[in-house]
Amino acid sequence: MVRWIEQQAEGGTCVLYLGGVWRLPNLRGIAEALRGVRVPGSAPVILDGSRLEALDTAAGFTLFRYLSSHGCTEATVTARGFDPAHRRLLALVHERMKSEPSEAHARHLGLVHRIGHATVDLALLLRDHTRFLGRVAVELLGLLRRPGRFRVRETVSQFEDVGLDAIPIVALVTFLIGVVFAYLLGVQAQRYGANIFVVDGVGMAICRELSPMLAAILVAGRSGAAFTAQLGTMRVQEEVDAISTLGLAPIQVLVVPRLAAIMVALPLLAFVGDVAGIAGGMAVTAWQLDISPATFMDRLHATLPVSYLAVGLAKTPVFAAFIALIACRMGLSVARDARSVGINTTSTVVQGIVAVIVLDAIFAVVLQHLDI
Amino acid sequence: MEAVIEVENVVTRFGAERVHDGVSFRVPRGEVAALIGGSGTGKSVLLKEIIGLLRPESGTVRLLGTEVWRAGAPALNALRRRFGMLFQDGALFSSLTVAENIAVPFRENTDLPMDLVAPLVGFKLALVGLPPDTGTKMPAQLSGGMRKRVALARALALEPEVLFLDEPTSGLDPVGARAFDKLVRVLSDSLGLTVFLVTHDLDTLHSIVDRAIVLGGGKVIADGPVEKVRNSNDAWVREYFMARA
Repeated sequence: MVRWIEQQAEGGTCVLYLGGVWRLPNLRGIAEALRGVRVPGSAPVILDGSRLEALDTAAGFTLFRYLSSHGCTEATVTARGFDPAHRRLLALVHERMKSEPSEAHARHLGLVHRIGHATVDLALLLRDHTRFLGRVAVELLGLLRRPGRFRVRETVSQFEDVGLDAIPIVALVTFLIGVVFAYLLGVQAQRYGANIFVVDGVGMAICRELSPMLAAILVAGRSGAAFTAQLGTMRVQEEVDAISTLGLAPIQVLVVPRLAAIMVALPLLAFVGDVAGIAGGMAVTAWQLDISPATFMDRLHATLPVSYLAVGLAKTPVFAAFIALIACRMGLSVARDARSVGINTTSTVVQGIVAVIVLDAIFAVVLQHLDI
Repeated sequence: MEAVIEVENVVTRFGAERVHDGVSFRVPRGEVAALIGGSGTGKSVLLKEIIGLLRPESGTVRLLGTEVWRAGAPALNALRRRFGMLFQDGALFSSLTVAENIAVPFRENTDLPMDLVAPLVGFKLALVGLPPDTGTKMPAQLSGGMRKRVALARALALEPEVLFLDEPTSGLDPVGARAFDKLVRVLSDSLGLTVFLVTHDLDTLHSIVDRAIVLGGGKVIADGPVEKVRNSNDAWVREYFMARA
């Protein structure tokens, strides 16, 4: 057992012999050993370093902290027998020790506080969204006067990312939803011998609600997150500032092409979803209810109002505009650190999906009142 | 003198391009050594190879007696506790406060109780010359010079024997840069640290560096005390040292 510190009285003076390896890995033991030592307050103390094998700043700091907390000062403590390197290190530690420790603790807020904060944050978010919408609207009006400024290449490239590349996943998801929906409807319909009505149900539900909403949610998750992460990283690397400095409007260069691309792409994706969802329903009815594809198509022709398809597709540009505006605004408001990019990207996906569902509910109520 | 860093015949290739073509040098204990060279000569790459972040194609790297690229994971982890690295922009964890950033190495690598770690963190801040209230700030609230100091405090947390610095003074104003140089020199003198730095700063070279190692064309083209390297016959080296005059 190493004796980190040994206390002896020599001619009435308290002498502390330091020994062994005073380094970070042993610090726990050293701190415990120090607790066992009693130094006589203001009386002189001699520190003897002749048995010391190694010393680092953490151990030196712990020693000084102990000594000063027991009333020892520069005047009462004398050092002897230290290796010159150890002496230099102690001098540095002593010189830098004038400030006291600080440890940050995250403040824990009470429930009322939290609700208040969340409310204010939400209000600020909506205010900033509105402001951003205004700025984009101004840029779009400017574009009407000078259509030549519209960035076709950038828009087409965004359209490829947002639209074409999303076709497989949208088709797969809506196909499977068509399958599930037709199957569940079929189980009920069979009991009443109302097999053929499954076709009506699948057609209406897919075209009016399911396909537009699913396509929008997929795009909000897929492209919304991508927009925020792209623009956010550009902001972190000051690319957005560079665009402004070059005399270009960031909204014109970054936001308008994305907005245009997504507003064109989403109706097309929803149409792909319509087709895939109906195909899913057709597959199930053929297998479960013995309705041949030809019969299915005939029935669909007879019962699915074109207005349902039109309403479904007409909603999607509105969804798209909200998704793009939320995503771009969250991207451009990233603070200059990595954490912020993550927070804003998450927030974009949540806001985008919530916005789509809220808008869909509003559409449902309003259109019902208008008898469409 | 015992060599702390030994680099032997290191060859690095990115695709068809040979970045290092047999680089060798040694850095003895207690020395402040600088690696210099033009842009694209692979200084930062070499630094990453020494600290075990990037594997060289061939050659050996020995750090504190351990062969970095032959050592197993436990040996490498033990080695990592014995050196500190200061990244160019600090690389502070942006989701943690300054104090928490410095506490990370203590939490992960020691079993010290919190009532011992908290004062130590405060002391590390003081050691690099930062006021105590810095501890509660987030890295995003700090200036470039303060970030570097915090990063230095984090690098020094586990009392390393070797300190690696990647462009320690880049992005600092001349006053801040000189203060940072002085800090590094004081720490290395009193703590007996071996310091290995990559730099472009001639003032750093002249004020705190014992020895300069010059990389060029994939090889070490000059190696020795700054004054000697300065008078080397190599055209690039002479132009480099003339750049300010």
